[in-house]
Amino acid sequence: MTLIVLLLGLVVGVLVGLLGIGGGVVMVPALVYLLHMDQHLAQGTSLLILLPPVGLGALRQYWKQDQVDLRSGILCALGMLVGGYLGGFIAVPLASRQLKGLFGCFLILAAFLLWRKPQAENRTTVSPGGESLRV
Amino acid sequence: MFDGPARDVGIFVAACVCGVASGLFGIGGGTLLVPFLALFFSFGQHRAQGTSLIALIPPTGALAFFAYAKAGYVSWQTGLLLVPGVFVGGIVGGWLAKRLPPRRMRQAFAGMMLVLGIWQAVSAWAR
Repeated sequence: MTLIVLLLGLVVGVLVGLLGIGGGVVMVPALVYLLHMDQHLAQGTSLLILLPPVGLGALRQYWKQDQVDLRSGILCALGMLVGGYLGGFIAVPLASRQLKGLFGCFLILAAFLLWRKPQAENRTTVSPGGESLRV
Repeated sequence: MFDGPARDVGIFVAACVCGVASGLFGIGGGTLLVPFLALFFSFGQHRAQGTSLIALIPPTGALAFFAYAKAGYVSWQTGLLLVPGVFVGGIVGGWLAKRLPPRRMRQAFAGMMLVLGIWQAVSAWAR
């Protein structure tokens, strides 16, 4: 069991580094379907994993290329802190089944956003290796 | 789209929306923040990703996390076991990405997410 969890972390991590997307989008369905967690438990556990600054190494790469807007970044952090509280407030009392369905809809939306990303990249000056950085 | 203080307020509001998704679905929020910055505030793709990363350095999900933890919706053992794997896997993934066609990979993955999303929605509601 412990081995499966360690391996799952490794596989999710590879996908994160490879595709430049957030780990939670992959982590939550993996916890639900592979470890048979309840939807709420999977989301809470995913939030726990995201508490340490896992993107620090990637950020260094962007910082070196001057691709960071610090002022906007701070504004975003504040906004997400406030919004996150609101989201948790909405999610906790929801029925697990409703939350699971909503998460499914969100995955569909995220799939479209992920598909769109490569096209947008054509319009910017792409630096070599940029694709490998995670978000 | 906006300038000056209006732009700051706009970015803050957009980030609030991302935060709601983050707390509601237990995810990081970068999935939404990057396209928002690129679409509404004319950030280049790399600048959007870099800015999203710096926004994710402080534990922005902390308030949402406490809401889940208080309700008992956190599996500490599993969570802590997953952290080292994700960290090491991230390095391996970054290394692999330089050797594989990233656009194809991303589209294959988007397809998988679409299927997974439909599966989750159907299994939750179709009964």
